Amino acid sequence: MEPEPIDEFERELQAALARRPAPPHLKRNIMERRRQQGGRSRRMIWLERLAASLILAAVASGAAFWHHEVEQRRGEEARQQVFTALRIANHALEQMNAQLAERNRNAQ
Amino acid sequence: MAGDWQPDFEQLIDEHQSMVFSLALRMTGDRGLAEEIAQDVFLELDRHLGKIESPLHALLWLRRVAMSRSADALRRRRVRGIDQWVEIDETHGARGEERPSPLADRVERLLATVPEPQRAALVLRYQEDLTPEEIAAALGAPLATVKSHLQRGLKLLRAKAAIHLKEYVRGA
Repeated sequence: MEPEPIDEFERELQAALARRPAPPHLKRNIMERRRQQGGRSRRMIWLERLAASLILAAVASGAAFWHHEVEQRRGEEARQQVFTALRIANHALEQMNAQLAERNRNAQ
Repeated sequence: MAGDWQPDFEQLIDEHQSMVFSLALRMTGDRGLAEEIAQDVFLELDRHLGKIESPLHALLWLRRVAMSRSADALRRRRVRGIDQWVEIDETHGARGEERPSPLADRVERLLATVPEPQRAALVLRYQEDLTPEEIAAALGAPLATVKSHLQRGLKLLRAKAAIHLKEYVRGA
């Protein structure tokens, strides 16, 4: 596509809007801020690692505690089941004992 | 070959600092703010350096981000109620050799009175010598909108120049 021709005013506008030189200290300031940010980001990386380690430790402790609680509850349930079984067996034995005693009395 | 190109941050600053600073200056009209924007743009480039694939990519990226950050800065200033171009008379820290010619200075002042979207299109057209298609890509705007901004902005600037720059501009 052919570029549109520009008139005298546009040419003068182009000349007036030529790029200005950047301030001489601009590059130095950028490099200085880059160094500072580099230091800060290294600190941030260490802080992030520390935070991640703390979170990991907290999660692991929570999991261990929860596992311990579950095991304890299961143990308690098993103990209760054993007691129930013992109670049932005891009840059955008492009944048998009573029946035997009854038979003995009848036999005499 | 583009694939072999390794970006050199300092070299990119040397090559493009004038462009980035001038875009920010023409958009904001404030040397201090333009310097701040230019620093921010290059530091952002540093963070994205791994994604820059070629010198052309770096140029387009810097141009687009410079315009975008300038627009953000203007928005922040509007929110804070700070008037634009308040510091232009002082040329804010500009040393003698950096001072623009009287005509360029007055053109910049006139440009500052043009609405922001039109100003952005005009700066990219006449400072960066971009085509409307390239301006549309740099601003992320539809081509028809850019053409309209260029036409209206130029018309407005012509009218203002005819009044205020009679002694300089022959074609106005």
